[in-house]
Amino acid sequence: MPLDTSTYALAHLRLDGRRWNELRRLHAQISTQAAADGSSYLEQGNTKVLCTVSGPQEQKGGRGGARDQGNEAKVDVEMNIAAFSGMDRKRRARSDKRVQEMQVTIASAFQSTLFTHLFPHSTITVTLHILSQDGSLLAACLNAATLALIDAGIPMSDYISSVTVASAPSSDQSLDEMDPLLDLNGLEEQELPFMTVGTCGRGPGGGEEKVMVLVMETKVQMARLEAMLSVGIDGCKQVRGILDGVVRSHGKRVLESKVS
Amino acid sequence: MAPYTGIPLSPAELSYLHTSLSQHPPIRPDARSPTAFRPLIAETDILPAANGSARICFADGTEAIVGVKAEVEKTPSASSHSINSHSINGEVADEGVRGLGSGGVRDVEDDGMDVDGGEDGKQSSKGRDEWLEVAIDIPGMRDDDALPVFLSAMLTEALLADGALKDKLYINTRFHWRLYIDILLLSLPLSYPLPLLSLTTHLALLATRLPALVSEKDEDPLFNDDWEASTHLYPPTKDETARQKPPITLLVMSVGENILFDPSREELAVADAVVAISVTQSHTNTTGPDADADADADSPNPLHLIALRTIDPPSRLTAAGLPNSLNTSAGAGAGAASQSLSSVEVAVTREKDQGVSVWRPPRGGVKRAVLARMIKMVVQAGGVGEEVLGGLRGVEI
Repeated sequence: MPLDTSTYALAHLRLDGRRWNELRRLHAQISTQAAADGSSYLEQGNTKVLCTVSGPQEQKGGRGGARDQGNEAKVDVEMNIAAFSGMDRKRRARSDKRVQEMQVTIASAFQSTLFTHLFPHSTITVTLHILSQDGSLLAACLNAATLALIDAGIPMSDYISSVTVASAPSSDQSLDEMDPLLDLNGLEEQELPFMTVGTCGRGPGGGEEKVMVLVMETKVQMARLEAMLSVGIDGCKQVRGILDGVVRSHGKRVLESKVS
Repeated sequence: MAPYTGIPLSPAELSYLHTSLSQHPPIRPDARSPTAFRPLIAETDILPAANGSARICFADGTEAIVGVKAEVEKTPSASSHSINSHSINGEVADEGVRGLGSGGVRDVEDDGMDVDGGEDGKQSSKGRDEWLEVAIDIPGMRDDDALPVFLSAMLTEALLADGALKDKLYINTRFHWRLYIDILLLSLPLSYPLPLLSLTTHLALLATRLPALVSEKDEDPLFNDDWEASTHLYPPTKDETARQKPPITLLVMSVGENILFDPSREELAVADAVVAISVTQSHTNTTGPDADADADADSPNPLHLIALRTIDPPSRLTAAGLPNSLNTSAGAGAGAASQSLSSVEVAVTREKDQGVSVWRPPRGGVKRAVLARMIKMVVQAGGVGEEVLGGLRGVEI
């Protein structure tokens, strides 16, 4: 594949002009939809995700044995990739294996972060609408879901913040030298081995720092993995800071509107 | 046992709502006037990867996003098409599976309508119905559920009956654009989502741009890669009122003699009849030069009707109330008397009471006079159709 490594090696600038450790513009909003219990809209570069949360509520549909769900809430994730989201129009069936895998990944990550034991016999449904995709889809979905769950007021131990990180061959092509790249766009994702890291907590003083999600579908040399992971965890911290800013500014707005 | 309709209203509440909506003037639950629409938030061009996109958010929280994408496609029977252009029979066979050429569907009585439909019919021979594809995605529903299928059929029908849209997709005899309109309903459908989806589609189509064509005639199409040079599917004009626009579909309901626009979910629960009316603006080129001259700046081209469908109102599924004279569980005098009635007598008493003392679901169709008034209210000069188009004009595109 024609990776544009030539330009990267010359100036150490990526296709979109970023340095190796720069994130794309991350813009998010909370409470975008009045009809949902919690909602958020997140743009990570050109990847745009809209997330709504409904619940915790009793499971609807009255399926047999639906009442007996054990002592904690179940997290259900529905992902809907709009047909117009990619470059070419493509309708994805709901049973698409890739989509299902991402749904399970997100659900299991939040299942252990949310205080689900507070809501026995109930379901929390997270619906993700992908409006536009340009790389880092899983990461953007995790970030958007975090914001929407916060908006829904569901108690959780900490933000799950997520980012992708890739390993790019360095300028002199020697094997032991490589550059991890942070927050990939769609083109880079096609050409480089990458992984999605999602962490929870921010280390000393802010709770235990844990890697909650780690997904890698491409091959990479074992030696490169450690550097990638550490850059990824660092990127997650940056993302967490941004998400925190969004939540705080929204909270401030809500308070101000209540006071006046 | 009351059939499950998802309407959380008792027969008594339905009866109350029905009575207040049949007053003159009607009293709507949210104190709107009969023709008033609920406020909405709209924006366009929100998606980078689509040719055109729009988002509309109604005040009740229902929200829809529409993305329009266009692809160049080879016209399958390129050679036969050119032969057909001088054989009338071939042309008719070519004219769409659904038979929705703009000429044939205009047989509904409508005095505000102009009479040059035939001309449009001739011009629309270039486009074909299957070049347009509408897909609707509603959360919690399968793609082949009745609601999304019915809604997309209704929207497609309006867009095709207009005739102007499919002609715009024609590139040359060998190639055409295929237009995909993907509608995404973000919230659960609280009220019947047709007007929301239609207005969002309208805005998305207005915002749709296609790359400018640089090749000529029947060459393989070559496009200008400068997005700034792209052309609008519906080109903007200096005078916004004269701009050619995609059709809109409005939901109208009637209660007795009253006609209500943009019904909410509760209002639909007591509707006598619900009708979806699709209208479009007559094209500028079809009105004569003298018509242009005496048209005021604030009176745009007249609207005309292109499609009409009655919709089965949810009110038909509601449970009927029980007249007091038949209420056996009440215990007192009247109940004891009715216990001796035979089942035939009970049925007769119920039938006689029909809608007098208690609620009963509406029966039968819509009266012709009411239907004619509905259409007139939408299409007439200064009517609801113009008001809606005028309101949407305020959206920045």
